[in-house]
Amino acid sequence: MKKYLFKRILFSVFSLIVVVVLVMIMVYSLIERSAIFQTDDTWNKKSNNDRGLYEYVQYQKFGYLTFEDYTTFVKNKYIEVYGDDYYKQSDYLADKNAIQDAATFQQNPTVQEFLNKYAAKGYEFKYFEPMLYKSGKTKPGGTGYLLAIDNTNVFVRLGKYIANFFSFETTKDVKDPNLTDRYVRFEKDPYSGLFAIVGSGTQHKYLLYFNDRFPYIHQNWFRINLGTSYTAYRGQEITNVVTTPTGDLKTTRQQFPIDLGTDKYTDTAIDFHSVTYNATGELSEVEKTQFTDNYTVYSYQRTGLTVIGNSFIMGIISTLMAYLIGLPIGIAMARKKDGFLDNIGNAYIVFISAVPSLAYIFMLAAFGNAVFHLPYKFATAETKVLAYILPTISLTLPGLGSLMKWMRRYMIDQMNSDYVKFARAEGLSEKEIFRIHISRNAMIYIVHGIPGSILFSLVGGFITETAYGIPGTGRLLINAIHQHDNGIVVAMTVFYTSLSLASVILGDLLLAKADPRISLSSDKGGGR
Amino acid sequence: MEEMMNLSPEQENELFRFLGEDEKASSEKIIAPRYSYWKSVFRVFFRKKSNIILLTLFILLLVSAFIIPLIFPYDVMENVTDSSSYNLSPTAAMTKYGGSIKYLLGTGSSGNSIFLGIFASAQTSLKLAFICAAINMFIGVVLGAVWGYSKKVDSVMLVFYNIFGNIPGLLVQSVLVYVIGSGFWSLVIAFTLFGWLGVAFFFRTQVMIIRDREYSLASRCLGTPINRIISRNVLPFLTSVIVTVLASEVPGYISSEVFLSYAGLGLSASVPSLGRMIQNGQTAFITYPWTFWPPVIMASLVAMILYLLGQHLADASDPRTHML
Repeated sequence: MKKYLFKRILFSVFSLIVVVVLVMIMVYSLIERSAIFQTDDTWNKKSNNDRGLYEYVQYQKFGYLTFEDYTTFVKNKYIEVYGDDYYKQSDYLADKNAIQDAATFQQNPTVQEFLNKYAAKGYEFKYFEPMLYKSGKTKPGGTGYLLAIDNTNVFVRLGKYIANFFSFETTKDVKDPNLTDRYVRFEKDPYSGLFAIVGSGTQHKYLLYFNDRFPYIHQNWFRINLGTSYTAYRGQEITNVVTTPTGDLKTTRQQFPIDLGTDKYTDTAIDFHSVTYNATGELSEVEKTQFTDNYTVYSYQRTGLTVIGNSFIMGIISTLMAYLIGLPIGIAMARKKDGFLDNIGNAYIVFISAVPSLAYIFMLAAFGNAVFHLPYKFATAETKVLAYILPTISLTLPGLGSLMKWMRRYMIDQMNSDYVKFARAEGLSEKEIFRIHISRNAMIYIVHGIPGSILFSLVGGFITETAYGIPGTGRLLINAIHQHDNGIVVAMTVFYTSLSLASVILGDLLLAKADPRISLSSDKGGGR
Repeated sequence: MEEMMNLSPEQENELFRFLGEDEKASSEKIIAPRYSYWKSVFRVFFRKKSNIILLTLFILLLVSAFIIPLIFPYDVMENVTDSSSYNLSPTAAMTKYGGSIKYLLGTGSSGNSIFLGIFASAQTSLKLAFICAAINMFIGVVLGAVWGYSKKVDSVMLVFYNIFGNIPGLLVQSVLVYVIGSGFWSLVIAFTLFGWLGVAFFFRTQVMIIRDREYSLASRCLGTPINRIISRNVLPFLTSVIVTVLASEVPGYISSEVFLSYAGLGLSASVPSLGRMIQNGQTAFITYPWTFWPPVIMASLVAMILYLLGQHLADASDPRTHML
């Protein structure tokens, strides 16, 4: 069994990698890369060669390529010769400005050295010719540039992605020689009143802590790095994007670390648990008066849930509701086949299976808004909690329909089986037969779908979150596609694919647990 | 017995005679009631009055979705220069345009006719759903039959299925649309590139079940070639299963198209689409309800009619319902 499970997990990881490779190949080779500049203000402000150079800098940042700049090359060359005074030397300036003359730059020996060095490595060259007015003055942003470009291979990109996928903080993470005291230890947490695991030398100060936010216990030790956002959240890590609370700032009465132990309180939205290390040289004067150590980079407390939290809360509640309501109705439908409830239930099943989700979502939104005055747009809702009600119900509806359908189907199948006829002949009451025999056997099939339906509600989130405008993972993907954000598209593919692969394995395991006759590994008799 | 053996030739002639040439053929036939599969399917199908109503509705929908846009070509930008034509209620639009049937349901946010819009968009949805269903069902059934029959193919395809089969369809479609770009045919590609996989896997399992039935084993023992077993033993058995799958696939494509166009990922702006109409009407669905509800209802109606029709056709195509 363990061996089987190990094999399954290994194969799932393999599938995930294949899917990521395919998505990366498609996204990075088929999508016009300049699309990332459509919403970029910096790009708009730049002109001529400066814009061209900026594009390459961004391409490098987003992992399309790596490049070497001639100017840096010259600089490094002369630093070696003259040390810090290199910029005063006339031969440095002559070499540096050689590329400002399109006609003769290739005759300069340093340029030749640059070209030869990177041609040998298989780089391509991009020369931005200096742009001059007729008077000979350089146009704004028209300075010449010479770049050696190495287009990143998809497998290199994948390798980097996988290598950076998991990260674990250690006390050696901070490269600041001024920090001598490095440790990880239990400390009393002044903000929660409980204890916390506190690190020094790690990126985050609080590695494990409690607070009053769901899920109440948090950690910064281990993280999954899903990549970097391109356009939607310029340059931010996607893991941060999905795990950072959304909504308005939440100001509370707190104490800065330096005030701890005194009676000085400040109204601030800073989340003191989120602090990360700041190099000694970069500490501002204000920070020195507020903090006692170098952990001064913080994020804010917000009133909303995290992006992932939004999706999960709605997904879990709707799945629970679907099971709690759908199963009893399915059973009742089967018991009185062709009765009133059965007909109504069947009509509902047909409606939910046929009608496009978007259509019934809006029907529900209009109904809930008109009758119960529930908000149907998340952004404009005054009480955010109420804004979750309609989307959660919308997510419940399809799961409810399919559970009713299958529960009814399985119950009816079981009712006609021989063992039920035998039980009836033995004189068991109908109630006992249903409770002890039929329900249990029918449940076996239902159990298999539990992880899948949690997943389904998350995928259903694509439509629901988009329709109601809820900041969750589903809407994140749709928005990312609109903004040509390759980073988020890849990250969300990883996220959803791993969820679905996990739910398939979990479903099989639950099935084997629920039904002792089923053996997953073929070596244990029976087999499949 | 003794007496029987000693019959004289005369006596034998009285009891037996040789058949004439024309009688030989008919004597070989076994007399049974004539059974034609498709005739029985339609007999069972038309026995229910609700099916006749559904079929009439379907034909009506088909005709109006394909004929109305021919008579009155739909153009979103038709009245875009005249801002007084924007968001007119049905009555206001009817008075403004002198009771023209084009403005029966009012106008949308750019003065476009809602009535023409929903039929032109329904045409797009129907076309897309049928093209995608045809491609996916064809590839799915043919490959599924081979997949289920050959154990070698099975081991290869299972790996392929385990990699791609568990990824949510909407994710695949969204990412594909992102990569290929928007438009009718890119949507067809997005729906079919991996869409057949689920269908094929379903049929693989069905074929496996039938493959090992006794009559198939008997055929194999008699040396019937595989493709003949598939086409004669397996596929006829699957007709009703095929129709059932088709009935649930078609509304699925409509639903996906509506959502993707709504999210601005599906069809390009020039193609009339229910999803886009819903998106346009959504912002003002309380102030201008007539711009919003017609496309929602149309989308529901199209999907519902197709689903019910498919389910009932599937019931009728199951030979077990053919017994009187």
